[in-house]
Amino acid sequence: MESVNKPPGRRSRFYSSEARVAYICLIPAFLGLIFLTYLPLVGVLGISLTNWTGLKSPEFVGFDNYVQLFTADPYLMDSILATIYFAVLSVVGSMIYSLFIAMLLNRKIPARGFFRAVFYVPYVLPAVAIYVGWSWLYEANFGFFNFLLSEAGLRKVLFIADSSYVVPSLSLISVWLAGNLIVIFLAGLQNVPSVYHEAAEMDGANGWNRFRHITVPCMTPIIFYNLLMSLIANLQVVTPALSLTNGGPGNSSRFMTYLMYDQAFVNYKLGYASATTFIIFAILAVFTAVLFKTSHRWIFNEGGDDK
Amino acid sequence: MSVAAYGRLRSKKRRDFTTNLITFAVVVLLAALVLFPIWWIFRTSLMTNAEIYKYPPSLLPQNWLFSNYEKTLEVFKFWKYLWNTMIIIVPSCLAGTFTATLCGYAFARLRFRGKSLIWVLCIGSMLLPTMVTLIPLYIGWTRGLGLQDSYLPLILPYFCGGGAFNIFLIRQFILSIPRELDQAATIDGAGYFRILFGIIIPAIKSAMIVVALFIFIGLWNDLLQQMIYINSSDKYTIALGLTNFRGQLKSDWSLTMAATCLSFAPGVIFYLIGQRYFVEGITLTGLKN
Repeated sequence: MESVNKPPGRRSRFYSSEARVAYICLIPAFLGLIFLTYLPLVGVLGISLTNWTGLKSPEFVGFDNYVQLFTADPYLMDSILATIYFAVLSVVGSMIYSLFIAMLLNRKIPARGFFRAVFYVPYVLPAVAIYVGWSWLYEANFGFFNFLLSEAGLRKVLFIADSSYVVPSLSLISVWLAGNLIVIFLAGLQNVPSVYHEAAEMDGANGWNRFRHITVPCMTPIIFYNLLMSLIANLQVVTPALSLTNGGPGNSSRFMTYLMYDQAFVNYKLGYASATTFIIFAILAVFTAVLFKTSHRWIFNEGGDDK
Repeated sequence: MSVAAYGRLRSKKRRDFTTNLITFAVVVLLAALVLFPIWWIFRTSLMTNAEIYKYPPSLLPQNWLFSNYEKTLEVFKFWKYLWNTMIIIVPSCLAGTFTATLCGYAFARLRFRGKSLIWVLCIGSMLLPTMVTLIPLYIGWTRGLGLQDSYLPLILPYFCGGGAFNIFLIRQFILSIPRELDQAATIDGAGYFRILFGIIIPAIKSAMIVVALFIFIGLWNDLLQQMIYINSSDKYTIALGLTNFRGQLKSDWSLTMAATCLSFAPGVIFYLIGQRYFVEGITLTGLKN
């Protein structure tokens, strides 16, 4: 990587003007990293140790908020479970869906660019409009999905108004939104050397074997990237709860970020909500760390210089 | 070529043709499935309420009631919301793209002390979930700087580098430009900023458009922060306006769907304009990771 520092050496005057330009260019990023990222990160930990409500000035209460969250909070556990349920369904669903579509689009079919655009379109629509629009498809009596069910002779389902269907229903929408994953997968597939496939075909490997032993290994770095990004995004899910379900029915879609929003900006318990934030952060960090730790076991490095 | 080998080749060609045909059929089917919800929403927006509740529902509206849109616009102040959204998006996109380019240039081309450390901090912030910093930032903007009911807390962060991911993207693009170009310019006596504006920026225009589109989509979808920072209804964005509108008109589905379709439009238009660059840009991010 080129980011390694070289000592200034003989060209030191030249170097210093280069460095000055670099620092000028980086002023915005400095400000952002300090004031919008790392300082707030420390801040959230600090605030979580107080009983700040926004009305009266904060008092230090130690770990009271955390103790209360884990022992007395009626929502936290439901919220964590709902979020993980949603994230797992959405991530697995959208990974399979987008890899499948990308493999189809990687074949020589007519109008490939057009189809790529079609599968990408949901991603560029505003999220709120998508959820509102889909809420009509999920409508309890006249919605499209209930029309299908009644045509098939099945009982009607309330979908987003039913506590056991709401999370899968919302996950389906997020799978539908996975257009950006398709584009990234497609780019990766086009980089799989075609000689591998040709050689395997010579040796009589069938389609599944070629997928399993050539495509997947070559794609592991990209699978990892997509997995990581969609996991982080889906664990932070909040828009469907804000725009559609308000965390309900019951607590079935009270996702962690929504829980934090509710505590901080509806009930103004800023200290308490910061403790929740920190717990969410810890959960996300654990997921990310597990993914990174296990990655070396399944990521295939061609030539082994990928660092 | 032996007869047997020729036969094998021909049968492979025929087999390829058949699989491609099947693939094409599957793709057409799936594309139709993906577009179907959008069509369903759109056709609902053109129907009377009686028609919506008919059983079985029809795929096409009987008469295309574009008057639904007029009715919707009376209650759903789309143009006002669009204008408000643009007040946030336009400066954010411009500033975010510009500062991301500056930072990406520094990381890709310039040598300076502490580069690796700053780079790690920058990339590390990509993994930091945005919701973690929400409460301290809220307190900072509203209490610290007194910016209540203001767009500034939504816009100003984009003046600070436009997000680590975008900096990363620009850096990758710049790295793919041959260094000989700027070396030649250096010999001709061009300074670092001259190189940036004269050589680098023209060469990475497509990446900058991608960054602008990413910022656009990000702001477009960020209902949470808009809810937190904007209170008065005449400052509502499209996302806030639509959420609110749906709450008011719970059962008038044709008007709600008309409002939904109106909200779809700007995103689709932006996408169609930038589509070529978009795919190119995302492609590069995926590959260079």
